[in-house]
Amino acid sequence: MAAIGSAVGLGNVWRFPYVCYQNGGGAFLIPYFVALFTAGIPLMILEFSVGHWARKAPPETFKKIGKKWEWVGWLTVLMPFVVAMYYVVIMAWCFSYMIYAVDLRWGGDAGSFFSSFLGDTGSPVILGGLSIPILLGLVAIWFTVFFILYKGVKRIGKVVALTVPIPTILLIILTIRGMTLPGAIEGISYYLTPNFSSLLDINVWLAAYAQIFFSIGVAQGIMITYASFLKKKSDINNNAFIISLADAGTSFLAGFTVFSVVGYLASTQGVSIAALGEQIAGPNLTFITYPTAISLLPFAAAFFGFIFFVALLTFGIDSAFSMIEPISTSLNDKFKFSKAKSVGLLCTLGFLFSLIFVMGNGLHLVNIFDHFIANFGLVVIGLIECVLFGWLFAVKKIREHANSTSDIKIGRWWDILIKYVIPLVLSVILILSVVENIAKPYNNYPWWIILFLGILPLALLFVFSLIFTKIKPKGVKK
Amino acid sequence: MLPISAIIMFIFGATVIYGGLAYFIYRAFKKQKEDEQD
Repeated sequence: MAAIGSAVGLGNVWRFPYVCYQNGGGAFLIPYFVALFTAGIPLMILEFSVGHWARKAPPETFKKIGKKWEWVGWLTVLMPFVVAMYYVVIMAWCFSYMIYAVDLRWGGDAGSFFSSFLGDTGSPVILGGLSIPILLGLVAIWFTVFFILYKGVKRIGKVVALTVPIPTILLIILTIRGMTLPGAIEGISYYLTPNFSSLLDINVWLAAYAQIFFSIGVAQGIMITYASFLKKKSDINNNAFIISLADAGTSFLAGFTVFSVVGYLASTQGVSIAALGEQIAGPNLTFITYPTAISLLPFAAAFFGFIFFVALLTFGIDSAFSMIEPISTSLNDKFKFSKAKSVGLLCTLGFLFSLIFVMGNGLHLVNIFDHFIANFGLVVIGLIECVLFGWLFAVKKIREHANSTSDIKIGRWWDILIKYVIPLVLSVILILSVVENIAKPYNNYPWWIILFLGILPLALLFVFSLIFTKIKPKGVKK
Repeated sequence: MLPISAIIMFIFGATVIYGGLAYFIYRAFKKQKEDEQD
């Protein structure tokens, strides 16, 4: 349940619908399913099996296959910790919007309201002022993460028993409401009607693999950590299938939730859905397009606005604390910290670093960090994992361990996917992303901004991974 | 009315994802019951 909560997050609700829309609508579902079964589920099985076998956090797990690979483990747990710093900021926006939804404070111009809420300076290097509502939201979210994690795994179990089903039910309610609105069918038609010519476009396939890869939450040390808590008898293969399909199912459902409302918005404004195209992307979709549509609802607009942001917050909270759990467990393993000490330290550090996203340039910093960590950081880790476990460690042993726990036996096809197919796909994604970013710097920012805010943080993560590996804890017995 | 191709995509997606999820959850419950009986 905790792993489902971790996999299902904000990315399912706003990222999947617009990626699907941008890549051929219904036709995108075909490469999406191919990516799910050839990369998402196999990587999930790999991480679950390795974590269950090692029964340790990622640094100790990688150390088990060779002392010189401990740094990879630290890299896998540092990466989600950095993601958490800006992910929590997006949740803080949702927190404020949940309150604003009560009186639909964004009024008729959600775009201007969002800019003024952020105090947006329009540039990543112009700081602007501190946003007090976002700061308060940030304090609330980080405190909640601390409160959930400091007592350990048992509290996580109790929390996810609520935070997994509740947002799913809310999403179903919102979908039913959306589907009954005028114009909803046009929105759904836009979402589902396949444009088969897009199947010949390599970028559509890359987008599908990227979506699966980032949405499911592999290559972040999370699944290795959660699998280390599983009982010895736990069925690894079945768990991997359930988590991956639950994640994909939430994305598929969110497509209906969002596009039915987008269809309604287009019909109310008397424009085609294509004319809304620019608005159906990233934060715009959640904080501008959806609120605009909500305020146009004929009745109970505030109620549906409120439950939309409650759903986002409850989807997000599981993912947020799952990003802290791997590094917390790693610190406990190596330095023998108590749970409260490691979680307290990480939440304080996380809160302090999150403050850089609370200024007027926060939206731009979030976009830059997300772009470089998602497109490069996680892909590199996924690639390293496949090479290490596929080529340097006996992949057959990992498969046999997974099969020994499960009625569903995976065959040699899985070895081929881990050794050849996934590394090949990830290499192509990585090379094309590098080429594209060199040819056209992200958002046309000057190179010094890309270097300082995009590449330097990634490089620092590698440096910190090596530092954590080199530190020898004092007074800790071998 | 949805175009026929959109309806096919819906049926395909729902069957693969929700059908698959239901099947694996059923397997998990079945195994849990068997373990309890053992």
